[in-house]
Amino acid sequence: MSAEMLAMSEYGRDPRKHHFSPYADNGGTTIAIAGDDFVMVGSDTRLTNYSGILSRNQTKVFPLTEKTMIASTGCWADVLSLYKDLQAKLTLYSQEHHDEMSTPAIAQLVSTVLYWRRFFPYYVSNMVIGLDEDGSGVVYHYDPVGHMEKLRFSSAGASVAQIQPLLDNQLGALNMKDAVPPKVTKALAHQLMHDAFISAAERDVKTGDSCIIYTVTKDGVAEEQVKLRRD
Amino acid sequence: MFQANTQIGDYLVDEHGRKIKLHFDHGTTTLGFKFQGGTILVADSRATSGQYIGSGNVRKIIPITPSLLGTMAGGAADCTYWERVLAKQCKIYQLRNRVHISVAAASKLLANMVYQYKGYGLSMGVMIAGYDKKGPGLYYVDNDGSRMPGNLFSIGSGSIYAYGVVDSGYRWDMTDEEAHDLGRRAVYHATHRDGASGGIVRVYHIKEDGWTIISEDDCTDLHWRYQDEKMASSSQ
Amino acid sequence: MNIEAPPLWSNGPKPGLFYDFPGRSVGQSLVNDHAKTHTMYPTTTGTSVIGIVFDGGVMIAADKLGSYGSLARFRNVERIFKATDEAVLAFGGDIADYQFIREVIEQKVRDDECGGYSKQLDAGALHSWLTRVLYNRRSRFNPLWLDCVVAGFRAGKPFLGFVDKIGTAYEATEVASGFGQYFAIPMLRSAREKKSDGIFTQAEARKVIEEAMKVLYYRDCRGFHRYMVATVTKEGVTIDDDLDLKKDTNWDLAHLTKLL
Repeated sequence: MSAEMLAMSEYGRDPRKHHFSPYADNGGTTIAIAGDDFVMVGSDTRLTNYSGILSRNQTKVFPLTEKTMIASTGCWADVLSLYKDLQAKLTLYSQEHHDEMSTPAIAQLVSTVLYWRRFFPYYVSNMVIGLDEDGSGVVYHYDPVGHMEKLRFSSAGASVAQIQPLLDNQLGALNMKDAVPPKVTKALAHQLMHDAFISAAERDVKTGDSCIIYTVTKDGVAEEQVKLRRD
Repeated sequence: MFQANTQIGDYLVDEHGRKIKLHFDHGTTTLGFKFQGGTILVADSRATSGQYIGSGNVRKIIPITPSLLGTMAGGAADCTYWERVLAKQCKIYQLRNRVHISVAAASKLLANMVYQYKGYGLSMGVMIAGYDKKGPGLYYVDNDGSRMPGNLFSIGSGSIYAYGVVDSGYRWDMTDEEAHDLGRRAVYHATHRDGASGGIVRVYHIKEDGWTIISEDDCTDLHWRYQDEKMASSSQ
Repeated sequence: MNIEAPPLWSNGPKPGLFYDFPGRSVGQSLVNDHAKTHTMYPTTTGTSVIGIVFDGGVMIAADKLGSYGSLARFRNVERIFKATDEAVLAFGGDIADYQFIREVIEQKVRDDECGGYSKQLDAGALHSWLTRVLYNRRSRFNPLWLDCVVAGFRAGKPFLGFVDKIGTAYEATEVASGFGQYFAIPMLRSAREKKSDGIFTQAEARKVIEEAMKVLYYRDCRGFHRYMVATVTKEGVTIDDDLDLKKDTNWDLAHLTKLL
């Protein structure tokens, strides 16, 4: 029996030798790319616990308002709790103001909500994506305790270290002599996102099965699912 | 309940004792000094989470009021959150008293706030700089609750390199341009030698009428600019 | 009225203790911050639970052993119960925590019945509720050491969900905890993939559950031959609580198995 299987036995050993941890790493990868009048966000659909696959069909992107979404990966229990908390706050806001909260306001709210758990953090990598008040796409990226950065494109989760360099090169044209960043069209964003997920699924055990890509425009959210490696 | 002497690090292992990675953005060079023409603040823009460069475009010099700036070293979220709270307090002070808050008072507000959380694991090493009726002000505040005024501070993993450059070129009677150049060079050299610092070198200048952004240069461009200068001066 | 005299000197040094610095609440001393410690390990435990969705319903199973470390201590423990006509729950992990949460849920269901102001709790509602309860307990460092499988209906459609002791929750067409994660899940998934439409009949579901329980009994040292199966359909809940694998298992190979 492999070391992995010996270690995983929950109830097999001395009952006193158990160690409780409130955190788990459930994997998952998210990518977001903003355009002039749209924003595209995708996640893989694999949910893992150690080497076990809990679900092959679990999106990590959740709607917050008509034009704002949040993409969260990391400790799944925290992801669910954070999303529930945000939903409650946004419902209160919309009922009080008879209007949905704007994307930049949601972005700041997420930062503050994360920081309120500074001494017992949500173990979650977040991105807030949406259309700002001018209708152009924005991406906000966070660290687990709420440090926020506004970006044009970003990735988060298990495969960041593999995907972000690809995006930096293809969309940011960073450190390339005389290279000009391309105009981000839906076709380019979609192609790049799809390729990035395929590459991540090839090399990362915590990413795979399929990817769901959401495109947010002023007309609403379009959803598309593409298959990935299932091994 | 969470207690003062419990660190989150204690819980960052899973139930089999394997480590769970929880990195916040860290690592920095920030520099601030006073001279005859006001106060200069300089910072790099790199944020690292462990070995991963989380961002290369962070603004580590944060506006608090039109005449007050704060810098950021240590936990990025700690600095941005508490300096945002400070900005709110400074605005309220101004509305209540019809005068801008002094640098001394603003820095003390921040020091008092973080002192309440002493021992809880906050990580901040910041400068609060500005201009008030006493002239240019520069204070250092950290997560222990320390607060001290001074003419020259550098904070972060790259501070040792920045200090070396500033100390060798500093004069009180520098012109504005000389001061900008000294600050820029100091942080550039820190980005060159310190792996956790890098990205863009941002120079801010605070005078009587408030702060302005002097320059924002990619440290790679600065490298070649300084290289060319060296070549030019050695061939003379 | 409070007639107790206030302490003469709060926050001052106490004999044998360190000085309490300002800002710390009275009575909290540096040497004994853990007056209350929580139990962070299970004692009497149940092993895997498994479940699958079939055409028009859901089926879950768990064996009847309550282990005490490596001792097979209780050989007739129920780990599945019917909450309402639309929800059954199965639990792995600490048996005491299971019995506690079962009583809470049963009381909740009774309150709803007597109150008559809410509709009957379905599996979706109970799954969501359990997620919050378990997450809150883990956040207080006083977890309910459980793996929960919630089966039944949500808004009239078959529902199968899972929650663990820290609040990790998901829905799936097949779920399992513990060793079931390794042995049962691949069996259930490959059986489903062999069907062209991916849909089991109730009889097929029962067959594959039985096969999975058999493998778990063979290979899981904390497994047992007596087990329960609960089936939820539109007609309601049926629980078979006297099932036995003993007659279906074959240990003839046992003497050929050597430690190499």
